[in-house]
Amino acid sequence: MNNEANQPAKRSNPGGLRVDRENRETVGEPFIEDPRMTCRNVDVFYGDKHAIINVSLDIGKNEVISMIGPSGCGKSTFIRCLNRMNDTIDTCRVRGQIKLDGRDIYDESIDVVPLRAQVGMVFQKPNPFPKSIYQNVAYGPRIHGLAQSKEELDEIVETSLRKAGLWDEVKDRLDQPGTALSGGQQQRLCIARAIAVSPEIILMDEPCSALDPIATARIENLIDELRHNYTIAIVTHSMQQASRVSQRTAYFHLGDLIEIGPTEIIFTNPKHQLTEDYITGRFG
Amino acid sequence: MAPSTLFLSILVLAVAAYVIGRKRSYSVVGGARKLRELHSRPTYYGMLTALGCGIPALLILGIWQAFEETVITRLITAGLPENIRTLPESRLNLIINDVKNLVSGNIVSKEVDPAMQAAADHYTRLQSISHASMAVVCLVLGIMAIAIIRKIITPKLRARNAVETVTKIILVACSSIAIFTTLGIVLSVLFEAIRFFKAVAVTEFLFGLQWSPQMAIRADQVGSSGAFGAVPVFAGTLMISAIAMTVAVPVGLMSAIYLSEYATSKVRAAAKPLMEILAGIPTVVYGFFAALTVAPVIRDSGGLMGLDVSSESALAAGVVMGIMIIPFVSSLSDDVINAVPQVLRDGAYGLGATRSETIRNVVIPAALPGIVGSILLAVSRAIGETMIVVMAAGLAANLTANPLQTVTTVTVQIVTLLVGDQEFDSPKTLAAFALGLVLFVATLFLNIIALHVVRKYREQYE
Repeated sequence: MNNEANQPAKRSNPGGLRVDRENRETVGEPFIEDPRMTCRNVDVFYGDKHAIINVSLDIGKNEVISMIGPSGCGKSTFIRCLNRMNDTIDTCRVRGQIKLDGRDIYDESIDVVPLRAQVGMVFQKPNPFPKSIYQNVAYGPRIHGLAQSKEELDEIVETSLRKAGLWDEVKDRLDQPGTALSGGQQQRLCIARAIAVSPEIILMDEPCSALDPIATARIENLIDELRHNYTIAIVTHSMQQASRVSQRTAYFHLGDLIEIGPTEIIFTNPKHQLTEDYITGRFG
Repeated sequence: MAPSTLFLSILVLAVAAYVIGRKRSYSVVGGARKLRELHSRPTYYGMLTALGCGIPALLILGIWQAFEETVITRLITAGLPENIRTLPESRLNLIINDVKNLVSGNIVSKEVDPAMQAAADHYTRLQSISHASMAVVCLVLGIMAIAIIRKIITPKLRARNAVETVTKIILVACSSIAIFTTLGIVLSVLFEAIRFFKAVAVTEFLFGLQWSPQMAIRADQVGSSGAFGAVPVFAGTLMISAIAMTVAVPVGLMSAIYLSEYATSKVRAAAKPLMEILAGIPTVVYGFFAALTVAPVIRDSGGLMGLDVSSESALAAGVVMGIMIIPFVSSLSDDVINAVPQVLRDGAYGLGATRSETIRNVVIPAALPGIVGSILLAVSRAIGETMIVVMAAGLAANLTANPLQTVTTVTVQIVTLLVGDQEFDSPKTLAAFALGLVLFVATLFLNIIALHVVRKYREQYE
C-alpha cells in the first residue's frame, strides 16, 4: 500500500460517491510532510490472529492524531506498537517498519527503556502507583536520573503537575496516596507522571473512557494545551472527542486502516463507505 | 430400632416432607399457572416442611443419644445388690464396665457372677426400651411437624424468609464451632499453666537459664534437680526458626518472582505444582533427611574447616526446615504478585521502567501485605514444627548462640514431657502447658505486630 495506490480511488470519487464497503485499501492522506513518526506496512499478530493488517501512516509534529473505530478493530494494538508496549505480551509479533525521527524503533540497537521515556503512554484506566502523589510523578525522573538534587526533582514534579492542570488541587497534599484522588484527578496524575520524564510523544489509550463528562472536558482541554509541546496519538471511542481534540483522524476496521485524513474531512465528508457507516452510527 | 436406622428414617421422612410441602404449595394456589400468587417459590415450602420435620427430630435423637447411657447406668447401679452399690466409686466403675462388656459380648475370662448377668440383662432390656421409645418419639414428632406445616401452608406464608433464617442459624453455628474450639483450647492451656505456676514461679520459668525438667518422684531419688528455666528452650526455637526463615524467605520470594514475572505460562504451570509437592512431603521424611544426610554433611564440612560441629546441630534442622517451608512462601507470594493488576505494570513500563525496576518499585510494594502474610504463615509453621527438630536438633537444652551446637525447641520439650508414663499433676507434665501457653502468646504477638506493620506500610491499589 502506498500513496500512489490511493490516488485513483480519491479521484474517481468526487461527488459524494463512496468507496465500496468490501474495499480494504486505505483511502485519504496517510502521509504528511516532515513527520515525527512513520509507520510502513505494519502487521501485528497475536499468536495466529492477524490483529493489524498492513497499516501505513505518518504522525506529524505537534499534532493530535486520533484513532477511532469499533471495538476490536486494532486501534489500541496499533498505538501500543509505537512505544513497543506490545513487547510485554508473549504471543505478540510485530512486522513492518516504525520509525521515530528516522530511526527504526524495532531495530536491535534500540533499547525499549529510553524509547518508552521518549514515547510516553497514558492508559484507559487511571493507574497511579500505590504511592504518594509526589512519588508517582517523581518515579519516572528518578529511575531515568533526570534530577540531580532534591530541588530539581521538586521542580520537575511541580512543573509536571502544573502542565497536567493538577497542581492547584494537590499542592497541599503531595504526600497523600495517589489512589485516594478522584478518577479524573488520577488520570491527570497519570498524565503528569508521563510528562515528568519529558517525552516527545504521548500515546493515550482511551484516556477518558472511565471518567465523567466534567473530568473528560478537563482532560480534553489539557490535550489541547499539551499539543503545543508534544505530539499526541489518542485512541478514543467517542467521535465527539476525536473531532474536538484532534487535527487528523484515522479510522480502523477489523485490523485495516480504512481511512485517514484531516479530522473535519473525516467527519463531514468521509470517502469510504465504512467510515460513513461508523460516524453516522450505522455500524459499531 | 437402632439409632443409625432411626437417623436414616428421619432423613427419608424429611425427603418425603419436602415432596409433601412442595405439592401442598401447588394445591393451595390451585395449580402451576397461579404460582405468582404464592409468596415464595414451591421449593421453599418443600424446604420449610423438610426442615420443620427433620431438625427437631434429629435434635431429639442427638440429645437422647447423649444422655441415654448416663440414665441407664444410673438405673443399673440402683438395681445392683447392696454390697456392690456401697463400694467406693473407682471399684463401682470397674463393675459397671464389666457389665457393659458383658452386654457388648466382650469375652470375660472368669465365671460370670449371676448378679452381674442379671444386671447385664437389665441393661439390654433398658436399652431396647429406650431405643424403641426414642424411635417412636422422633418419628411421631416428624410426622406431626409435617401435618402442622402442611396445614399452615397458605399463599401468604413467608416460606423463603423462614428457610433463609434457619440457613443463617446453621451457618452461624458452624462458624462458632471454630471460635469456641479455639477458646476452649486457650482456656484449658491457661488453667493447666496456672497450676504449673503454682509450683514454679513465673519469673523462674520466664527468666531461668536452666532447663532440666526431671523431678524426683520420691524423696530418696537423686540426680533429678527439676529446673524449669525456659530461656534455653525458647532461644533454641528462636534460633532454628531464624535459620529456617533465612533459608526460606529469600529462596521462596525469589522463586515466586521468577514464577510470576519471568517464567512463561508453560513453565509456571509445570513448576508451581512441583514446588508445592515440597509442602506435601511428611515432616518425618524431612526429619530423617535432616538427621541422616544434612547433619553429617554439615559436621564433616565443619570438621574440614576445623570447626567443632555436633552431630545434631541447629543448623541442620534449621536448613531442612527452611527448605520445607519454601513452598509456603513461594506459592502464596506468587499468587499475590500475580494478583497485582497488569495496568500497574503497564504504567511503569510506559514510563520506561525496566522489568526489575517495575518489580522492585511497583509490584512488590503493591503485593507486600500478601507477602508478609505468607512469611508469617511460614514463621508459624517453623515455630510449631516438631518432627524435624526432634530428629535433627536434639534434646539438650543448651543456651548457646552457636548454630553448630545441639539445641532444643519448645515443641520438642512438650513432646518429651508428655511421652511415656506420667503423673498428670507433677510440675514436669504441667510445664508442657506453660510452654504451650508462652508459645501461643508469642505467636499472637507476632501476628499483631505483623498486622500493624502491614497496615502501616502497605501501598494499597484500588
